[in-house]
Amino acid sequence: MDGAGMHEVPQRPHFSSASRNSSAGGRLPPSIIIYNTRSSKIREMSQSFSNNINSWNTTVNNVTVADNRSNLLAWLSPLNPKVRHQDIRNRRVEDVGEWVFQTEEFRSWHAGSGGSESDKAVLFCYGDPGVGKTFIR
Amino acid sequence: MLTSCDVSSLVIDKLCDQATGRRAAVSCFYFDFAAQKEQSPTSMMGSLLKQVVSGLEEIPEGITQAYEDHQRVIDGRGLKLIDIVKMLQTTASEKPTFICIDALDECVAGYRVKVLDSVNQILQRSPGTRVFVTGRPQIQAEVEKRLSTRATVLHITPRRHDIIGYLHTRLGEDTKLGAMDDSLKADILKKIPEDVSEMYVEASTPE
Repeated sequence: MDGAGMHEVPQRPHFSSASRNSSAGGRLPPSIIIYNTRSSKIREMSQSFSNNINSWNTTVNNVTVADNRSNLLAWLSPLNPKVRHQDIRNRRVEDVGEWVFQTEEFRSWHAGSGGSESDKAVLFCYGDPGVGKTFIR
Repeated sequence: MLTSCDVSSLVIDKLCDQATGRRAAVSCFYFDFAAQKEQSPTSMMGSLLKQVVSGLEEIPEGITQAYEDHQRVIDGRGLKLIDIVKMLQTTASEKPTFICIDALDECVAGYRVKVLDSVNQILQRSPGTRVFVTGRPQIQAEVEKRLSTRATVLHITPRRHDIIGYLHTRLGEDTKLGAMDDSLKADILKKIPEDVSEMYVEASTPE
């Protein structure tokens, strides 16, 4: 804690009320004396308590943000094509079909030609679905 | 062994691998006969948007705003197709975007029109967007007409290398110990690719 903070201590409301009490009664009530001697300890504790609260709030905020994000995404669509994608990719045989990337058709589609007339935005692949599965199991 | 969805998933993985470096957005969708009802144009296009948005560090303000507005309304409905398309137009104009659609022929014909028109609106705004579609040859003309563009066409048939790779994997998974010896294995690896290639040559001969 810096010096300015320490200086503020006597300005705190409970202190001013304590001084009013002392001028009126001529003597500080014992409870206030004890309170004063312990105040620095209490301040220390309350500081650490509020630090904990702050870090707890940060955690809560992060959870809330993550929660909001996933609620928003679920609101965009109930469907999760990535799940299907994962299924298919898990049963795919390594390296099979890699030749597709070497074809001129794939390369030119992928590279694109910056919106020129000859640019083709669409790559249409057709096979005979199921043929492979029927022939070899 | 090499179905259209295998090729789609292969292409999607490849695009995703490259996307990390290029800061591109990759979104995919698999149509399925068995799920025709729930695969409406709105939820399908919405799921494309969802994938693009979940790859962004921050959700675009327009989308957050729409979500908050929706939450304030009791019984608030989801986004309309037109809103989803607008949002996709915006994201696609900001970063390179790939849209991959598998088995488009398995989409209900009425829905397919809307899906293709939506994709077309995105292409109109951002011609650099790349669209990958698989499906039976019968829908090629429809795709080209609705997307008002000629498509590059690729015929997917298993190549010899695919067949051998597939056989190797399946033979490796053989659970009957002792039933297979090296010479039988060699025979299989030699004979089947030849036979299958012949079948494919016959199958792909124009009618």
